[in-house]
Amino acid sequence: MNELDLLLLIAAASIPLNALLAPAKLGRWLTVAGYAVQLGLLFALTPGDAIRSTLSFDLLGNHVGWQLDALGWFFAIVTVAAAGFSAAFAAGEWGEINGRQGLSLRWLYAGLQINVLAMLLLLSSADFISLFIGWELTSWSGLILMLLAGGEAIRAALRYIVYALAGGMAVFAGLVMTHAAAGSLQFDAMQAIAPTLTNAQLWSIALLFITGFSVKMATMPFHLWQAPAYAYSPGPASAFLGAISARMGLFAIALVAIKIVGVIQLDRLAFWNDIANLRDLLAWIAVVTAILPTFVAMRQNDARLLLSWHGIGQGGYMLLGLVVADSLGSAGALLHVFNYATYQAILLMAVFAVVHRTGTADLNRLGGLVARMPLTFLAMLVGIIGLAGLPPMNGFVSKWMIYRSLVTEGMPLLFVATVIGTLGTVLSVYKLLHNTFLGQLRLEHVEVKEAPWSMTVPMLLLCVVVFVTGVMPGFVLSHVAAVQQAIGLEAVRYTLGGIESPAGSLDMIWITGVLFAGFGIGAILFYGFGGRSVRVHQLDNYAGGHFLTADVRYQYSDNFYAGLMHRIRPWYRDSFAWMESSLVSAVGAVSTLARGFFEQANPAYWALLGTTVVMTWMMWHALG
Amino acid sequence: MHWAELLFELTVMPLVAFLVGLFMVLMMRKIGARLQRRVGPPLMQPLYDIVKLYGKRTQTSHGLLHEIGIVMAVGGYVAAETLLPVPGMNGIAEKGGMITLLYLTMIPSLGMALGVGQCANPNGSIGISRALTAMLAYDIPFVIVIAGVAMHFGTTNLVDVITQQQAGGFETWGISQMPLLALAGLFALQGMLGKQPFEIYVAPAEIATGPMVEMGGKFLGGLFVMQCFQLYTASVLYVTLFLGGGENWITFLAKAFAVLVIPISVAFLFPRYRTEDMITMLWKWPVVLGLLGLVFVGS
Repeated sequence: MNELDLLLLIAAASIPLNALLAPAKLGRWLTVAGYAVQLGLLFALTPGDAIRSTLSFDLLGNHVGWQLDALGWFFAIVTVAAAGFSAAFAAGEWGEINGRQGLSLRWLYAGLQINVLAMLLLLSSADFISLFIGWELTSWSGLILMLLAGGEAIRAALRYIVYALAGGMAVFAGLVMTHAAAGSLQFDAMQAIAPTLTNAQLWSIALLFITGFSVKMATMPFHLWQAPAYAYSPGPASAFLGAISARMGLFAIALVAIKIVGVIQLDRLAFWNDIANLRDLLAWIAVVTAILPTFVAMRQNDARLLLSWHGIGQGGYMLLGLVVADSLGSAGALLHVFNYATYQAILLMAVFAVVHRTGTADLNRLGGLVARMPLTFLAMLVGIIGLAGLPPMNGFVSKWMIYRSLVTEGMPLLFVATVIGTLGTVLSVYKLLHNTFLGQLRLEHVEVKEAPWSMTVPMLLLCVVVFVTGVMPGFVLSHVAAVQQAIGLEAVRYTLGGIESPAGSLDMIWITGVLFAGFGIGAILFYGFGGRSVRVHQLDNYAGGHFLTADVRYQYSDNFYAGLMHRIRPWYRDSFAWMESSLVSAVGAVSTLARGFFEQANPAYWALLGTTVVMTWMMWHALG
Repeated sequence: MHWAELLFELTVMPLVAFLVGLFMVLMMRKIGARLQRRVGPPLMQPLYDIVKLYGKRTQTSHGLLHEIGIVMAVGGYVAAETLLPVPGMNGIAEKGGMITLLYLTMIPSLGMALGVGQCANPNGSIGISRALTAMLAYDIPFVIVIAGVAMHFGTTNLVDVITQQQAGGFETWGISQMPLLALAGLFALQGMLGKQPFEIYVAPAEIATGPMVEMGGKFLGGLFVMQCFQLYTASVLYVTLFLGGGENWITFLAKAFAVLVIPISVAFLFPRYRTEDMITMLWKWPVVLGLLGLVFVGS
């Protein structure tokens, strides 16, 4: 038995243990300790060695096994850490109050661990069968967390599982095609045969796998399920799912399309008279995914939905960097997986802390909470700076790497498009922060207190991670470089502070240093000179010379970007929602027909239809 | 480089930026005055204004974040100046580059947005919503310009960009190599400076509907300082990307002031666009020009 066996064993044993411990406060903290143990075990594994688990069996002449290489290890670290922080978030008052209100803490904690185990199995898959097992387990275990909240969450979860099933089918079909082409379901067999595949074979295998994996990533046009499914889950589940769950799709694409099939092979798949190939197509899909959901997020009035829509958009950046596949771009993409998980967890936790205290995530029913919940505000501020990709937080570094790779690899249009996505994010996250924490405080929130320490501490710890890995991205980049080597890409050349390159460097240690020195000078200028400023009470306001009492509501929150929306509203056509509903109608119509046929509801009608078809066929042949 | 030398550069670069920025504000007001057949303010007026604002007796703060917003607005620009090379001084320009600079200059805007938000004045919030919309509008052509310039010179490093332009004189300047992008950049510059016809979010003529509504005393003074930095940063960045940077201080300053004359003159001759028309304007002409410019750079 080696470390990987031990890790999987502990992860499996923790499921019943978590269910047992979850109702008690101390028990919940023990589950957090359990995640710390799993994380410690992961760090004890040396990722470069690709440790093979002793767990294995033979299926239909195929060897099925599990092993963890640098790629899986990198994602596994993020997964277990995200679960640990989410568990800690719910361990104190949140769990107590929500448990009293009827949420099943047993299912929440066991579900979290089931997800972790399923993801660990997926991340350590060593052949196509274990990959498929892990894929299906991950898809189904996500459902547990999504169903917990009840109400609208159930609708969203059912929509999710329909998409996930379709994705699973596509992956399975890809498996069948792989077996037909390579005669085996081992990764090596496919890797060896990939250059000799015909274009038709490669097209079908690549499209099936990438489609299947894209459903999990919520890459457009498979994106509609994700935002509600993640947003309506209970707080810690939402933070966990939002942070890492969708990235399993990226992992699988990196594994199958980049490592096994090889990114060069994708260039073979050209269309439109060789003007574009599958890689270009993926890059443009990724960039559309980075832009459109961002602008959908901007319109949301529910803070949870707003963030979840951004989650879809951020996935676009990762896919883009990965398919550009130069050393800098792919490193940016992989780094973004880590960075995104950290700040998205913070943001969702902050929103759920506000929900915990005020009972709502409606951005039109909040405001002015900054003085009431300063720590939660600070956490959200760090989170939005990360999500918007501004220095000095870690989101900037990974996005910068993707930008620079696009510019110097000669893809200026993709670069411009990604920056449009980022600018949209800036607008959207300011709305989130403003409508929650800034502006007018509502009278019913005057008595609101800061979230309990069990919720603020996980958020603030993650803020430290976001800041430190922003200033010193080298810590994470060392692992990213190992991942790149593991999947056959050129490893990025990095320094502790960022990137050193003749085509443009980045040293975040210096950038952050001068930024804070600048703030220091700004503070000296402000506080050291001039008259003394007098602070007025938060409710002591007036607008345009009109003195207002605190009970008059004048918070500017609804339709926050009215001018912009006036211009771009006609562009929101809900085409994808329309496509989805027409697909549903079509499936419904076919099933009704099939049912009518099966039950022989109108025998005469079916006889007529059958005869017509047969006669048409006969006449076709007789004439032609 | 010796650390004392670097420290000297890091100190002097923002200081120079502020001083030059003061004269740029003066020039702006002088041009406005001449176009309106007035005399205009005396030489030291911008400085007097800052001193006056700082010295006001009534200084109303709406909370810590209101103050931090001003600190960030000024501090962010102080930091940004060290990434912008000037003759003889590169500061830490080689550790950042133009993309970093683009994002670093969003920090002051974020600071201002935070400060205004804390004031709980709906007119301030409307101003910020318009300001951010304007940023989305002008940054799209500007990013196209950045992409084109970076592609043309093969680097995002501003020091290299200047060296390459100075190697062959006017022939190798960005403006003669990429005239379409330079023109698009001029549009973006107009928006970036928040001058007419793109100044609806500042709305100086009707103070009740802009971000400044709750800003008095040294809060407004801080924003005044920020404006000095903003004028300097925008014009020097343009000089760096298109006009070969500065061979020496004289040509450098001449170019920087000359660049500003265009947007300022335009500003005093034009009325104002509504927010949605500003978006249409900035997403149409400069974007088309910029994309055409990109085609020429690419080919």
